[in-house]
Amino acid sequence: MTKIEVQIGNKKYIVMDDRKYTKTDEWAKLEEGNRVRIGITDYAQKELRDIIGVELPEIDSEVSKGDVVATLESVKATGDVYSPISGKIVEANERLLDEPELLNTDPYGDGWIAVLEIKDPDEYNKLMTPEQYIEYLKKRKH
Amino acid sequence: MLRTLLLDYHVEKLGADTGEFGGWIVPMKYTSSIEEHMAVRRNVGFFDVSHMGRLRLKGSDVISFIQYVYTRDLEKTKEFFLSGPTLALNQWARVKDDEMLYRISDEDWLVVTNAPYREKMINYFREIIESRKYRVEVEDLTFKYAMIALQGPKAPEIMESLGASWASDLRILEFRMNEEIAGSKYYLVSRSGWTGEDGFEIWGESKAIQALMEKLIEKGVKPCGVIARDSLRMEMGFVLGEHEYGEDPLKFPCALSLRYGLGAIDWGKHGFVGEEALRTCRKEGVRWIRVGIKMKKKFARIIPRQGYRLFIEGVFVGWITSGSFSPVLKRGIAQAYIDSRYALFGEPVDIEVRGKLYSGKIADFPFISK
Repeated sequence: MTKIEVQIGNKKYIVMDDRKYTKTDEWAKLEEGNRVRIGITDYAQKELRDIIGVELPEIDSEVSKGDVVATLESVKATGDVYSPISGKIVEANERLLDEPELLNTDPYGDGWIAVLEIKDPDEYNKLMTPEQYIEYLKKRKH
Repeated sequence: MLRTLLLDYHVEKLGADTGEFGGWIVPMKYTSSIEEHMAVRRNVGFFDVSHMGRLRLKGSDVISFIQYVYTRDLEKTKEFFLSGPTLALNQWARVKDDEMLYRISDEDWLVVTNAPYREKMINYFREIIESRKYRVEVEDLTFKYAMIALQGPKAPEIMESLGASWASDLRILEFRMNEEIAGSKYYLVSRSGWTGEDGFEIWGESKAIQALMEKLIEKGVKPCGVIARDSLRMEMGFVLGEHEYGEDPLKFPCALSLRYGLGAIDWGKHGFVGEEALRTCRKEGVRWIRVGIKMKKKFARIIPRQGYRLFIEGVFVGWITSGSFSPVLKRGIAQAYIDSRYALFGEPVDIEVRGKLYSGKIADFPFISK
């Protein structure tokens, strides 16, 4: 698992090479069996900054790709997290309820949001690779 | 989109994250809006507020003109003092803008407008001047001078360390022109601000303002962005256009419902725009009043946002106008209009957030003790 530092203008964004990405700045990481862990990227947390509250999904709820799976309360605005994939929520990171700042300090690690059980591995494979996400970041307006 | 002359400095040298505010690209935050907010409350910080409108009014009829435009009795303003904030109303007693006025002399005044309303107010002033034949000239200084706000309990100390100890002698709302700070000249320095803390607002040519910012950074003064500026004004219960007030009588209650405070309306004064509608509103009593909402500790991390509805016992009683997070109180706070029959300070109220109800308390302003 390598950290890639992407320089855009005078800002640096971290992209991890061991997972997949979406255009709405979520990451998805396939774990054993058919479990996928999801979270937000370094770019997303830098845009939001000062995340002070999180609304997590309910365990056993079914989500479709693109559904709002979590809501992040930052000082500036409320941000929606869209599920990168369809599946059933089997775990939600309760630690974020008391320590939402983990989303800012460790978005790829302890700031994970949920784990889903997926049925369609194809859907996961179609997500952006780290390289594709980096290209996408470079094209965005800063 | 307008850009302040110093925006590149903020982005390249100070690492500002930018965003849009009132038609301008401005620094949103530098490090963290919560850090910036607390720097102003405990220490000292500075904001680039060049996006606000700066106008000069000159002529033999300035006083008659401003007495007609604003709700405050401005005749009483002392020379070299600011007056305000005060309200410019439209004919329906809705607020066009809330502004500060500076008296240089009887025939020479300055006005600071809110960023999104600068052009509107210039056009409005010119219309009135023409139709009522006032001998007044309006000069837009917004692009001539940049403006920063140095705010926080240590602001006077910082001014002293820059060789401007005369600044500590300024009384609240007093101003001076063409003064020197650390070897550069500045158009105006006032003891004023919008954060609830002690501090100064400084106007100058962009080179001089940049030099000042560099010196402030050297002295460890924190640069602060517009997100912190918003959470600071929220804690004080100050209002923002298009949130707590606006010109549309179908969207916003009359100016009296605003409970603006700060002596913005002088009931003893007659002959200003919107007076008739305002006095009618006063006579009939208000349907809505502006209050504060403080989230209950259990829901500290929920921020009510503009438009969210309020309920008491399942009855719709009002709506949120602005919401933010108070780093001092460590919880979400908001401003709202509540049906005057339910506006009981200290009583709980339910806020509908994404389909669920969360409770807060109806509070008066300011949220924090000052």
